[in-house]
Amino acid sequence: MTDTIRSHGAPARGPSAAAAVTTGSANALMRLTDPPMRAVQRLIGASRMPYVFLLPNLVFFGLFVFLPIGINIVFSVTGGTALFPSERPYVGAEHYARLLDCGSYLEAASCREDLFWRGVGNTLTFTVFQMVAMVLFSLVTALVLNRPIRGRGFFRAVYFFPVLLSPVVVALIWKWILQRDGLLNAVLTTAGGEKILFFVDPGWAMFWAVFVSVWAHMGFYTLILLAGLQAIPRDVYEAAEMDGTRPWRVFHRITLPLLWPNLLVVLVLVLIRSVQVFDEVFVLTGGGPGTATMMVVQYIYTTAFANQVQNFGLAGAASVLLGAVLFVLTLIQLFLTRRRAS
Amino acid sequence: MAGLELRGIRKDYGGTAVLKGIDLSIADGEFVVFVGPSGCGKSTLLRVIAGLETVTAGDIHIDGTEVTRTAASDRGLAMVFQSYALYPHMTVSQNMSFALENMGIAKAEISSRVDRAARMLRLTDYLQRKPAALSGGQRQRVAIGRAIVRDPKIFLFDEPLSNLDAELRVATRKELAALHAEIGGTMIYVTHDQVEAMTLADRIVVLNGGRIEQIGTPLDLYNRPANLFVAGFIGSPRMNLLPTELVRGEAAGDVTGRAATLGIRPEHVEPCQEAEADLTVRIDLVEQLGGETFLYATGPNDTPLTIRCDGQSRLVRGDLLPVRFSRDHLHRFDAAGLACRPEPLLARSHS
Repeated sequence: MTDTIRSHGAPARGPSAAAAVTTGSANALMRLTDPPMRAVQRLIGASRMPYVFLLPNLVFFGLFVFLPIGINIVFSVTGGTALFPSERPYVGAEHYARLLDCGSYLEAASCREDLFWRGVGNTLTFTVFQMVAMVLFSLVTALVLNRPIRGRGFFRAVYFFPVLLSPVVVALIWKWILQRDGLLNAVLTTAGGEKILFFVDPGWAMFWAVFVSVWAHMGFYTLILLAGLQAIPRDVYEAAEMDGTRPWRVFHRITLPLLWPNLLVVLVLVLIRSVQVFDEVFVLTGGGPGTATMMVVQYIYTTAFANQVQNFGLAGAASVLLGAVLFVLTLIQLFLTRRRAS
Repeated sequence: MAGLELRGIRKDYGGTAVLKGIDLSIADGEFVVFVGPSGCGKSTLLRVIAGLETVTAGDIHIDGTEVTRTAASDRGLAMVFQSYALYPHMTVSQNMSFALENMGIAKAEISSRVDRAARMLRLTDYLQRKPAALSGGQRQRVAIGRAIVRDPKIFLFDEPLSNLDAELRVATRKELAALHAEIGGTMIYVTHDQVEAMTLADRIVVLNGGRIEQIGTPLDLYNRPANLFVAGFIGSPRMNLLPTELVRGEAAGDVTGRAATLGIRPEHVEPCQEAEADLTVRIDLVEQLGGETFLYATGPNDTPLTIRCDGQSRLVRGDLLPVRFSRDHLHRFDAAGLACRPEPLLARSHS
């Protein structure tokens, strides 16, 4: 206390002056909030005070996360086109049954809701290719950026920059590059080649959907892996050098096992993101050609909002099923992260 | 095992010279300790020998063969790191056999070498454990075991005991000394702890500011420091260094000439009668260790003086104490800080 009084009385000089201003403002704020906080504490007791501090965020979270989930579940078990749940008739598991009604789950055409299963198939394809490409390119980039190369800081920033862009902006940029009269085709024709209709060919469309997604998010995963690489002690590599370990053996016997916890986190995060993918692919290809790049989330969006007959119930049921998959994946991620921490 | 020769080793980082011309010969089977304050270049010198750092100038010869530009793995050396640098995801056994697998040695031979080293270091019960499940001392023994199995030409130790607590440090120090006696290898050991240096070394290399200040046996360095730096660095508590003009009486007469500074170790400062005193000091602090007592005192012009007495002392802070310097153990240094040879001055005159 005496020190505080002294510091207030001391002449303001340099950094200590700034610190004094900060401390002064903090003290003023504390004095302002102190009486009401004391009153609340008297009213509910000290042991319940943590809940008071949690309340604002819980209200926000409840309104914008839990309530929509609840409404979504209500929609999934009710029918009709009405928006208010009270005006929607209860249909039980009808929507779920419709979604899961398939002759063979490997054949979308045999399913009653074939578009949903095409979306599932496309999402699976996208997920597999994106996971492999994302992990591979992120890992290689992190390994290169971890080496003492010239301009390392610049390249780290360059690779991270796309992460800062909105997915819609990313998709629009690439659409501009890849469209029929886009930049890439201009380069191809200038070089004497022929135009390629990237968004007309299903293979090319899926390729670019994966490519753009990897390009946009790779920086984030590279950063996680780079942090993991930098956490490996330099001494361990020097010991390996003294032990006469060849570079490839260093990678697969030292780097890879020590990076494995980070790699696992990246794998699960990429998996979760891939299953949720919507905006980039939707803006880039619109789900086409046909339904070649239509993902599950796009199916939900279209069913609920874009079709002439808006089927909130069916979309709600598809959302719940997707939510269940994401829930399981999140549990896996939590389990792996906690196991790593312990 | 092999000897080592360094000729004019220089190491610069950018414009900063860390090693400024090191010349050193280490004989086969010798235990040499590099000692010096933080930043003196001792670890850099060890890393240069290991091949983990390139030299800016100079040559390195191991067993008569130049290895200056040879890769670390091809020099036939083994290093024990300060942090142990064990592979955390491998068991003790895998840690010890990793280098041998790299060499393409047969599994039976690897197993035999690992078992032998584990027995020697009392690690047999821990071979299937991972480093995280070991104590600091056990990890250190694994690091040593990893070096032993390779049967290297020279063992390099970079402050291997600095992460251990005091008790374990003493125990591991003894084990290292026993290990050297048993396997008889050439060992180069870096430490800033002079007790480790004094107890382990056949020869000590004292480094300061990237240069060698003195090379010698532990007692050589203790009894005949070449300069003020070595005099102050070797010995704990450090040697008392006094300007000659502070000393009165017979001692002052003995140190006339080039000497500017007198050196006297704490155990060679004796309390005496006022009439025969070289100095009278005021006691600032009394450290009673039971078997011995350290008196920290201040002389004329606030010159600090440490006195070691056998047994226990009744002196307290503020007491005035006349002291005399043992005539056989006075050291003198010229204005440049170099020892005036031969040393100690009065030992010669008495003899």
